[in-house]
Amino acid sequence: MARYILRRLSFMVLTMLIVSIAVFLITEAAPGDVARHILGQFASEAQVELMREQMGLTQPLYVRYFDWLAGNDWRHSRLVDMPLTFVQLEGQQEPQWYAVAEDGTLRQWRMEGGELTEIRVSLDGARERVPFDNWQLDENGEEIFWGVDTAGHVVLWRRGGAAVDTGAAAAGRTMTESSGEQYLPLRRGLLRGDPGISTRTGRPVGPTLVRRLRNSLTLAAIAFAFIMPIALVMGLAAGLREASLLDRSISIFSLVTTSVPEFASGVFLILIFAFWLKVLPGAAIFVSDIAPWQDPKLLVLPVLTLTLVEVGYVTRMARASMIEVVNAPYIRTAFLKGLPYWRIVTKHAIRNALIAPITVIMLHVNWLVGGIVVVESVFGYPGLGMYLLDSALFKDVNAIEAGAMIMVTVAVGTQLIADVIYTFLNPRIRYK
Amino acid sequence: MSVAETTPSKTSEAPAGTQRKWWEPLTLIFRSGVGTVGLVIIVFWVLVAILAPLIAPYSPLAQDSTAINQPPSAQYLLGTDNMGRDMLSRLIYGSRTILLLAPISVFCSVAVGTFLGLLGGYFGGLIDEVVMRILDAIMAFPTILLYLIIIAALGPSALNVVLAITFVGAPGVARLVRSLTLDIRTRDYIRAAETRGENPFYIMFFEILPNARGPIIIDSMLRVGYAIFSIGTLGFLGLGLPPPTPDWGGMISEARKYIWTSPLGVLWPALAISSLVVALNLFADGLREESTRYQ
Repeated sequence: MARYILRRLSFMVLTMLIVSIAVFLITEAAPGDVARHILGQFASEAQVELMREQMGLTQPLYVRYFDWLAGNDWRHSRLVDMPLTFVQLEGQQEPQWYAVAEDGTLRQWRMEGGELTEIRVSLDGARERVPFDNWQLDENGEEIFWGVDTAGHVVLWRRGGAAVDTGAAAAGRTMTESSGEQYLPLRRGLLRGDPGISTRTGRPVGPTLVRRLRNSLTLAAIAFAFIMPIALVMGLAAGLREASLLDRSISIFSLVTTSVPEFASGVFLILIFAFWLKVLPGAAIFVSDIAPWQDPKLLVLPVLTLTLVEVGYVTRMARASMIEVVNAPYIRTAFLKGLPYWRIVTKHAIRNALIAPITVIMLHVNWLVGGIVVVESVFGYPGLGMYLLDSALFKDVNAIEAGAMIMVTVAVGTQLIADVIYTFLNPRIRYK
Repeated sequence: MSVAETTPSKTSEAPAGTQRKWWEPLTLIFRSGVGTVGLVIIVFWVLVAILAPLIAPYSPLAQDSTAINQPPSAQYLLGTDNMGRDMLSRLIYGSRTILLLAPISVFCSVAVGTFLGLLGGYFGGLIDEVVMRILDAIMAFPTILLYLIIIAALGPSALNVVLAITFVGAPGVARLVRSLTLDIRTRDYIRAAETRGENPFYIMFFEILPNARGPIIIDSMLRVGYAIFSIGTLGFLGLGLPPPTPDWGGMISEARKYIWTSPLGVLWPALAISSLVVALNLFADGLREESTRYQ
């Protein structure tokens, strides 16, 4: 069993690797330029080119992929000749890259008024600015310096190098600086827990993703808590009396609710509850960081939509499984032994009938994920699905990659859990 | 939408001596009440699509700037949208879009899936292993993510919608066909053909495929419903057909912005796509029920 799980886990890692490469290649092949997208259509060609360089987009594809996966600070620290570190200091919103000097102080460099300035942060958090004077000679005898700037790049500065006038860029997205000759953006890499910076928002993907994932999971969990009991009761009841009126009505009901696309049922529910009855808000309006459960009214319609769409599927599974069990010889034996009807149903039939639906439901997670993306889009719910949709439309490779990794983990992981549960519920099955 | 349930049934094997026409399973549908209801709705939409130019009161693209987001009236039976286009006409032409794209994409995914399934199932060994591993990896992927990435990379267009649905649907077909092939491969007539020295591809396409057609046809029926569902979803997410084309999913996402001023604008396309998908599923369900009843 342990070996089986191990093999499946390695299959999962392999899948994720393939997926990440595929996503990288596909987004690369996609039309449109991210830098142009960020800067807007009025930016000059030079600005776009500079942005591309600062984002590291001019590097070869395999270098970018490798940097994304495993980071590049350990590679670039050779250029700076100091260890690099990624820390969040007090009073800062996000962690930043620093070079660590021999005495333990953190260093950054910045071009101010045409002069390179060294920013020293001592261990107690005090900052001081010192005019820089540590130029090194390159092979041509020119004075250069590799340092870390304030925006997470390793930069090559040349003494007397003129700052390029970058001008104003797209709304809210000013260029950091452009005094250096070469920019190498620093990355810690996904394997070290850093999915990078979102090109769409200019902020780290990680925290946003965590918040979005939390919202989506909340939605899914609440919906799941409604779907399972309702669907299992309906399915088992229908399966117990095959072809009865109850069975027919439940079957048709579940067929219809499953068939109606999420966006259509969402629209119907909005019209009924928000527009005509005016009892519920029609769109989820979340102020940036408010957790969805703080305003439960907003969750009602999204949860209802998901329940409506998913309940039918589980019901049908449970029904089919119950029918199979009820027709099994051991149930007839139990009847012939003269066991009371309800005892047969509760002790023999239901327990066995639950095996199939539980595992099939786990395999159904793919559908649930898809449903959540659509439901989030219908109601403007700030979940992972919306994040992915927006990122995909923006060609935001870091965000897509991170979201894709989470989704694949969820999808493959639940399948593994389904198989493991299956062996526990049905001891006749053993994986090798 | 329970495509996975379609287990390979034995209905396809005609008893020796009796010739069954390919359409014979389809006549079963009239024995099932819900199946008939489904068929009637499907036929209704197909007729609407075919007769679109005759029954649509306006062009689906004609704009009337004096009537924007109007409620239903004598002039515009179902009202107008945010650009003053007639809802009814757009709805009617929208049925063309979806009823054309869905069968094409299903045909493509069934063709690709059948080929891969036959290949893996008949040859077995390394070919089977490689094909099935790749397909498993695709199937492990959340469908919506595949759509997102494919369409985001290729850009929204009719061709790319078909490509995306083919890519997502083919692995499921391949699995079904593979399991059927594994079963049929062991039959005597296959061994006879092999002894005759027939080409493997002849055996695959002229000996195995005809005998596996029953479950494949039923599976395809289910897939048409799924394809319409997907096309609608893609349209709704803005990944479907580019704007001026009348597309039900896209119409809903457009009209949703004006839901507070003209709520009926989103109702019509939502009803249209729901009725069509529900009908297809009722039809497929009826078909499956009747065809497995007397096994």
